[in-house]
Amino acid sequence: MNKLYAFIPFNNWGCFALLAVLFCIPQTGFANANRWDDAFFRGHGFMETAHDRPAALGGVKDDLPQKEVSGLVRDSSGAALPGVTVFVKANKSIGTTTDLNGRYILEVPDGSVLVFSMIGFETVERTVGSSSQSIDVVLSPASNTLGETVVVAFGTQKKQEVVGSVTTINPKELKVPSSNLTTALAGKLAGVVAFQRSGEPGADNADFFIRGVTTFGYKKDPLILVDGIELSANDLARMQVDDIANFSILKDATATALYGARGANGVILITTKEGQEGKAKVSVRIENSMSSPTSNVALADPITYMKLNNEAVLTRNPLGVLPYSRSKIDNTIKGANPYVYPANDWRKILFKNHTMNQRVNMNVTGGGKVARYYLAATFNQDNGVLKVDHRNNFNSNINLKTYELRSNVNISLTKSTEVGIKLYGTFDDYTGPIGGGTHYYNEAVKSDPVSFPAYFPVNSEYAYVQHILFGNTEDQLVNPYAEMVKGYQQYNQTLILAQFDLKQDLSFLTKGLTFNGLFNATRYSYFAVDRSYVPFWYEVGLYDKVNNTYSLAPINEDAGEEYLNYHEDPKKVTSTTYIQATMNYNRTFNDKDGVSGLLVFLMQNQVDGNSGSLQTSLPHRNIGVSGRFTYSYSNKYFAEFDFGYNGSERFYKDNRFGFFPSAGVAWQVSDEKFWQPLHHVISNLKFRATYGLIGNDDIGSATDRFFYLSDVNMDDPGKKAVFGLDDNYSKDGISVDRYSNPLITWEKSYKTNVGMDVGILGDANLIVDLWKEHRTHILMGRSYIPATFGLPSTAVPKANVGQANGEGIDLSLDYSKVFRSSFWIQGRANFTYAVSRFLVYEEPDFTATPWKSKVGYPIDQTWGYIAERLFVDDAEVANSPLQNFGERPMGGDVKYQDVNGDGQITTLDQVPIGYPKTPEIVYGFGVSVGYKNFDISCFFQGLGRESFWIDAAATSPFVTSGGLKTGLLKAYADDHWSEDNRNIYALWPRLSADDNSNNDQTSTWFMRNGAFLRLKNAEIGYTLPQALTKRIHVDKTRFYINGTNLLCWSKFKLWDVEMAGNGLDYPVQRVVNAGVLISF
Amino acid sequence: MILFSLYALSACHYLDIVPDNVATIDYAFRLRSQAEKYLYTCYSYLPKLADIGSNPALLSGDEIWYFYPYQTVTAAPPDNWEIARGNQNKINPYLDYWTGTNRGKPLFQAIRDCNTFLANIGNVPGMDEMEKDRWKSEVMFLKAYYHWFLLRMYGPIPITDQNMPIFSGPDEVKVYRQPVDSCFNYIVNLIDSSLAGLPAQIDVQYNEMGRVTKVIALALKARILVTAASPLFNGNHDYDNFVDNKGTHLFNSKYDPDKWKRAEAACKEAVDACEAGGYHLYHFNPAVNTYALSPDMQTQMDIRNAVCEKWNSEIIWGSTNSMATSIQRWAQANIDPSVTNTANARPYSSYAPTMRIAEMFYTKNGVPIDEDKTWDYTRRFDLDTATKDDRYEIQPDYVTAYLNFNREPRYYADLGFDGGIWYGQGRNNDTATWHVEGRVGQYSGKTRNTMYSITGYYAKKLVNFLNVIEVPDGLYDIQGYPWPVIRLADLYLLYSEALNEAEGPGSEALKWIDLVRERAGIPSVERAWADYARDPQEYTTQAGLRKIIHQERLIEMAFEGERFWDLRRWKEAETTMNKPIYGWNVEQSDPIYYYQQVLLFNKKFEKKDYFWPIPDHEIILNPNLVQNPGW
Repeated sequence: MNKLYAFIPFNNWGCFALLAVLFCIPQTGFANANRWDDAFFRGHGFMETAHDRPAALGGVKDDLPQKEVSGLVRDSSGAALPGVTVFVKANKSIGTTTDLNGRYILEVPDGSVLVFSMIGFETVERTVGSSSQSIDVVLSPASNTLGETVVVAFGTQKKQEVVGSVTTINPKELKVPSSNLTTALAGKLAGVVAFQRSGEPGADNADFFIRGVTTFGYKKDPLILVDGIELSANDLARMQVDDIANFSILKDATATALYGARGANGVILITTKEGQEGKAKVSVRIENSMSSPTSNVALADPITYMKLNNEAVLTRNPLGVLPYSRSKIDNTIKGANPYVYPANDWRKILFKNHTMNQRVNMNVTGGGKVARYYLAATFNQDNGVLKVDHRNNFNSNINLKTYELRSNVNISLTKSTEVGIKLYGTFDDYTGPIGGGTHYYNEAVKSDPVSFPAYFPVNSEYAYVQHILFGNTEDQLVNPYAEMVKGYQQYNQTLILAQFDLKQDLSFLTKGLTFNGLFNATRYSYFAVDRSYVPFWYEVGLYDKVNNTYSLAPINEDAGEEYLNYHEDPKKVTSTTYIQATMNYNRTFNDKDGVSGLLVFLMQNQVDGNSGSLQTSLPHRNIGVSGRFTYSYSNKYFAEFDFGYNGSERFYKDNRFGFFPSAGVAWQVSDEKFWQPLHHVISNLKFRATYGLIGNDDIGSATDRFFYLSDVNMDDPGKKAVFGLDDNYSKDGISVDRYSNPLITWEKSYKTNVGMDVGILGDANLIVDLWKEHRTHILMGRSYIPATFGLPSTAVPKANVGQANGEGIDLSLDYSKVFRSSFWIQGRANFTYAVSRFLVYEEPDFTATPWKSKVGYPIDQTWGYIAERLFVDDAEVANSPLQNFGERPMGGDVKYQDVNGDGQITTLDQVPIGYPKTPEIVYGFGVSVGYKNFDISCFFQGLGRESFWIDAAATSPFVTSGGLKTGLLKAYADDHWSEDNRNIYALWPRLSADDNSNNDQTSTWFMRNGAFLRLKNAEIGYTLPQALTKRIHVDKTRFYINGTNLLCWSKFKLWDVEMAGNGLDYPVQRVVNAGVLISF
Repeated sequence: MILFSLYALSACHYLDIVPDNVATIDYAFRLRSQAEKYLYTCYSYLPKLADIGSNPALLSGDEIWYFYPYQTVTAAPPDNWEIARGNQNKINPYLDYWTGTNRGKPLFQAIRDCNTFLANIGNVPGMDEMEKDRWKSEVMFLKAYYHWFLLRMYGPIPITDQNMPIFSGPDEVKVYRQPVDSCFNYIVNLIDSSLAGLPAQIDVQYNEMGRVTKVIALALKARILVTAASPLFNGNHDYDNFVDNKGTHLFNSKYDPDKWKRAEAACKEAVDACEAGGYHLYHFNPAVNTYALSPDMQTQMDIRNAVCEKWNSEIIWGSTNSMATSIQRWAQANIDPSVTNTANARPYSSYAPTMRIAEMFYTKNGVPIDEDKTWDYTRRFDLDTATKDDRYEIQPDYVTAYLNFNREPRYYADLGFDGGIWYGQGRNNDTATWHVEGRVGQYSGKTRNTMYSITGYYAKKLVNFLNVIEVPDGLYDIQGYPWPVIRLADLYLLYSEALNEAEGPGSEALKWIDLVRERAGIPSVERAWADYARDPQEYTTQAGLRKIIHQERLIEMAFEGERFWDLRRWKEAETTMNKPIYGWNVEQSDPIYYYQQVLLFNKKFEKKDYFWPIPDHEIILNPNLVQNPGW
């Protein structure tokens, strides 16, 4: 076997030869089936669930005095843990596993030490005292465990052996009442920076980055692998927590090195559950949740709206034409006639206050010696908050049904051969309003509230019409109600994965050698169709004030349609195939020298059906060989070497393959003899250090497929010219989108990680990682190219010249304690601090204005003007440095500081302001307590060192565009500069009826601190006493009520601070959820 | 296993997935048909002159005004009007033709494409040499045109005769602006070298009308040289201290009379070429009409259709790449009372000529309103009632301002106003025409806060008489026409101007202006001034004739995008454009109140406004570029 390891294929040919060898081996393997080490394959990382063994299988009796010990094992959330192995440390043959209710009974020798262990959890030891009859324990998640296995790249490692930085989490901790898994990441995982900007169902993915963002290139987010297959953030969002066996985050060089060119931004590794031997075990979870905005941004009432709109016109132009007449305002105040003088609260007209969503998840696992299965089915029903007009015969509210099916089947062909089939499908059937819900949320706050009613009641004049008499004006503004109910969109989305894997024990060749082969095919498809009619608009024709009657006048008699039209949206189809072969060797010699080796060969091919151009239609490919070699000495000293040797089709031949090595060491100090005296205080102490190089080939942009080729559009309609007597002879032109550059290659990341694992008093575990990263070869456009050079910005040459670095701390602490038998407590806290800095960034010569240079500042730093205050009056404007952003400023507009003192406010006066837009600190902490059958938990999450800017352009009241007119925030109505109230520190500057480019500039005026702390989750659960449920053959019934985003503390009050700049968008949701989990 | 091994071996080319003939730039010049596309590419950058939002000369001066705030439902705001409102800036300039943003075209990219074409067209195999020469000449002309467009906007510009290699270093790309005289010389030389290969006229009109001919090149050259000789570029002391970081003076400070000689010669050459090519001033051909027109209406149609009839006899360069369509919708007044529905489809009616323009036109005697002895200038805001004699100009018995009475035919051809007759639009009998009723409550009047004429005037000149507003929903059918970039009357007036400047006043100079006046239905300068003007000898001095030619030019070329540039090159913008903008009081229904002059805007024009600012960012990128003075 040593020969095999010596053969490290650094050339293109080698890798294929290796593959051929790897594929030969299983054939011979069947013939020489050796004893199968079950643990190896089980140790693939799933969380063991139910074993249907009798509770008191019992240990082997011997001559020592026996004592019956019983107890309950729970996880950190308080749920009972079935399937936990309990055995006597000194004699492993005395053991059992917990039953479905987490209970165990065992007869053990007096004074023996009981070991409670389960994959994915910390192992706990308890001494059986003379008095103790009952020992209850709580197992903490594996992230904090020692001596357990951890899922790492292409396999598992013993926690003890890990030298790199890997965060694992008990998937249960990610369980939130949402159909979106990404919303659960923030604050739960040390090293992950996450935040959620929108609450729109289907578009509410949180942004998440591992150890912040250290590149200013294209791809910044991590590689996501589910059962080894690369999936998107959207696919991750759809994962069911109940199906996840392991969730790991790989952060440093040694952990990610095997992914070579794809691992630089970190890796999220997920494995799904596999079947467990035993009789069928069914678990059903049913949830119903109520979702409503955490906060609705308050808008001014329609009267104030009209008055201030008039003010906005007059204050800028005394000659301006008033949008709303005195009589209209007066009559609206009087409430003369709601159809003639409407005052709409569009939000109320369009939306309900909350919506109910349902989720049902069912899984069943079981099997025998030969075959085991894990089957899961999920049905989610997400409803929108949109109102439906029953005069239509269709439903335009959001109705998203998600079906998921998963089937993981493992078959032991021989004692040493196991094959597995995994099938997974997600199917979305959606109907909803055209353009999605956010669109209408936006329109509701951006539609004119006083110019027309949503619709008119049918009067005698139009008694014959079949259509709804929607209100509008001759300008045909947006009537959001009509837009919403005029039709519906339907989309269907499918993701199917089929995976075949083969595990072969090759102990017959040499002990400790195994082979694993995997083939996967992924198919994705999406299509959408719109159906809608053209609404008929009506306005008030004549209004008879005396009798309070009005006549209606049609606005678009000819254009309106009563029947539905049909429109097809773009379709998307992609297909991916993936092959992976792994050879693993793991053996301990002389009880001291642990040696392991891993070689992986992989090949991936992805094609798109609708990529839009020839170059983007060509396959996306990746090929590579990776390896890991570890050596440990007496479980105290560990060393590891990893490499990835990867190729990407995007680069020129000479730069196509990259070698990414990394290495690390670890020292288990607490196992040293000299530590023994301290052992009772610091039960575990380990130091780790790694260094290595990782790549990122996802650079440039998604359409920049081949940097070494020029990209020429031979039929560019944008470069069309027209000639001819009748102006009808035209030809498209030719444009160059990219000039070839064979030198472009990977982005490189040099990562250093130093870590420490500490176990304190046996109850608490602390993991600290300090890291540093240096990115080089970041692709960026040559920024010195001026417009006179004559290239469109898309074709400006690029080069691997950028450099940046990052550093930070990941910290996690957990604590668990059981008091007596019925009360337990668990606490956990995470802290992530990640900063970044530009090191080399090509920019103009800023020696005269050094504050303009990005070098030395964080990657997400914002440059903007320093707003001193509002101008007192026009005279001050005239005597201040010229602020020339279009419209001349007036008194009450924002006054900026002339930093370079040239008498003008220009881009040279922009300085770095505030914190970066990506938070530098993300933290979370929570506590769970249980008492008898009750459990309560809460989790707080926060972030810090983040700035955001109120989007002045998007929230500017009265600005009209595309038939929409931005609403007036109550806060602005209450606190703005006006000629009567010349408050030079007012929240909003002088009103304007259109975009005021002076006040829209990014400046400190609208800068806000994005820091917040929120009660992210809280849950209360009750498990029915088993005595009760046993009678109906139910093993466990747990009821729970939980909620997300329940409370929030922040200095910013206008809207939910996590949404950052634009509060007029779909708000982040508060969800209150009730659920029941039944297993039988 | 064998099969698999074979597969694995073949997979060593796994990453070589790009087929051999992925298009590269060489493909553009392998076939004539592909090279033709590149020729079209070079044409594609021609500024959209008929687009009110892209042509600076339409909405950025003092000719047209707009309701405010101008957000509209159906059309993006014409933000170049912000320039007229004095809000141009250097951080993110409006109509930025330097970088091609804010509705400007990226003209330096255009020049790069022209250079690429010129460098490669020779390599196209199997192409007829004559045709190669023609294409090459067209692109040389376009390259000159793009330089000229930049020169007129920005003053001194960097000349890009050859493309820099794509991978040029940071120092190589930092180019310098060239002195204006070098720029003019470069552009004129380039046009001169294009002349030989250009066709005298378009033979295959069906698919080539709009491509560059020799006549177009000569006419443009005339305009360029007249501009070079004009006060803005010839001995302008305002820019005496305008130097770059090498100390190069970017403007000449000495007036050079020879520049006018050169301009005169160029004008003559162009006029001769036009005559040889059969171009002549346009007259409306009533044969297409079933009704006989009165002489009054015939003259009005001679004037209107010289612009609106596509490919008429005086169009030298019509822009097929910028058809006048939506601009007609903006200019059209609602003249059909039965259009009850004034929804989006109706004419927008908001492209409003200012009071200054209404006052600019001559009286019916062909002299300015404040010079005509027979026209009472002081009564111009008084009311008067139209009689049957006015029926081709003003609706009989309708009350309107004295200002609208007894004006020259171009007034009635070019302007729509309250009470004014609007010929066409489905009524081709000039005894039964539409007319405008523009006061509040009337069918053409203001009904809402958008889409109305803020001054009470409409740019009728740009509206084709065949357009129809459909009843009752107001759909508007438009007869588009290629935007007239250069027409013969323009060239004649340039020639008169050059002659007066180079040779002084005299019959030669008067000849060309009088040809234009004759078509406009007014007496010659000599007769008009002698018979009606308070200063009958004015035209006999160079300065007097200059003033007359200038006004004639402003009137004849009204709404065609010339006033904006003419006022600049004459250096008259700083006086003319510093006056307030007025209109009628369109909020009123009673004529007594409607015909009150209302101040719309206090317009400011500073010295710096003669030229566009170079975007600030470009100066930061390339410190060798020096910003225009005042910005």
